[in-house]
Amino acid sequence: MSKGIIIFAQNNEYVNYAEQACACAGYARKNLSLFDEICLITNTETLKPNKKLINKYFDKVIVSESFQPDNVRLFKDTTNITEYAPFKNMGRSDVYKLSPYTETLLIDADYFIMNDVLDQVWDSENDVMINCKYRDVSERHKENIEYLDNFSIPMYWATVVYFKKSDFAENLFTLVSHIKYNYKYYYYLYNCSGNLFRNDFAFSMALHILNGSVAFDVPSLPIEYLNNSFDLDDIYRVNSHNDIIMYCADAERTTNHLLSRFKDMDLHIMNKKAIGRFVDDFLANGEKV
Amino acid sequence: MVDTTEEIKIESSEEDLQRLEKALDFSNTMKTFNLNKNNLKVKTQNLLSYSTAGGSFIVDQSLISFMNFVVSSGKTEISLLDKNDIPIHIDDTEKFLDEVSSLYFEVVNDYYNEYQQLRSSRKIEKVLEI
Repeated sequence: MSKGIIIFAQNNEYVNYAEQACACAGYARKNLSLFDEICLITNTETLKPNKKLINKYFDKVIVSESFQPDNVRLFKDTTNITEYAPFKNMGRSDVYKLSPYTETLLIDADYFIMNDVLDQVWDSENDVMINCKYRDVSERHKENIEYLDNFSIPMYWATVVYFKKSDFAENLFTLVSHIKYNYKYYYYLYNCSGNLFRNDFAFSMALHILNGSVAFDVPSLPIEYLNNSFDLDDIYRVNSHNDIIMYCADAERTTNHLLSRFKDMDLHIMNKKAIGRFVDDFLANGEKV
Repeated sequence: MVDTTEEIKIESSEEDLQRLEKALDFSNTMKTFNLNKNNLKVKTQNLLSYSTAGGSFIVDQSLISFMNFVVSSGKTEISLLDKNDIPIHIDDTEKFLDEVSSLYFEVVNDYYNEYQQLRSSRKIEKVLEI
């Protein structure tokens, strides 16, 4: 039984995802201990200029030139800067075929593991685990987003996904891939919002179809909530491999920020530019001893 | 008819303004306090998770009480529903109870300490060690 953590990274002109993936890999290695390897799935273009850094933080690198049609996303860096750039997030459905592990924990390149709770996924009875509950650490979004739309299906967050080689997981990823190639159709079928291809949506649709298109419960990860820091937040200071202080955008006036400390608590930091500004600190704190 | 309405004071004194300013400042402190408190609460909820035999359990007072009942009834092994309603076989109930109780006490005690630190300090900078 092999156990691996997998992170995807494909750079665009706005974000160096490879660097951020290395930072996340460092945090995963510091805080989890029951896995065998951490693996990066990337493309040649991203690997070439970052090879030395990647080899330092990852045990294995898989190169995959996956299908990446135009998927332009608005990136925000607090309320100050907004910029459109290609969002290369289409590779995730290939992870089942690409993963060399019996059990895989797939995490986003901006998900910082800061406690050992996710070590509890290994040897699970469940073939797939994914969360439907999230929390905005700034509390601007008070309610959990339960459905893709008020008249649609339950929403799952593909930020962290656990799966083991199994029929259920294989079929799930086959469906995610099918939805990816036929996104417009499913987008309208399930009343999605926004023009962006979102893995969260594709996974939610695939899970719904796979469970017979009826109400169902998908096993959730050991963590109760995904702690999302949205892109209006910023980083104040990175203290250590399990301690980050954030500027959280005030719910009433998003140009104002409140300080909050995150210690021993996983954090999904969506402000990519903020991670970029602190990437050296992240990398130093996640370095192998 | 006798007019009983008192004259309403329109102009605020310097002292009133200072008091108002202080109240508004305090509202900022409270916002930060509440945000940090809620983040501590969510951290605690996430840490109160225990996994064994392929199942995941939310550790709370009802799980501990139930396991205490199981152990005191002399049952050494049971099948128990986990947080995803999957039946999980627990082959050593005493060990299970021991481990979930220890986790609960440890995590809630940390929450208590961090909460006290947050509550007792008027200056958020001090709590955040800025």
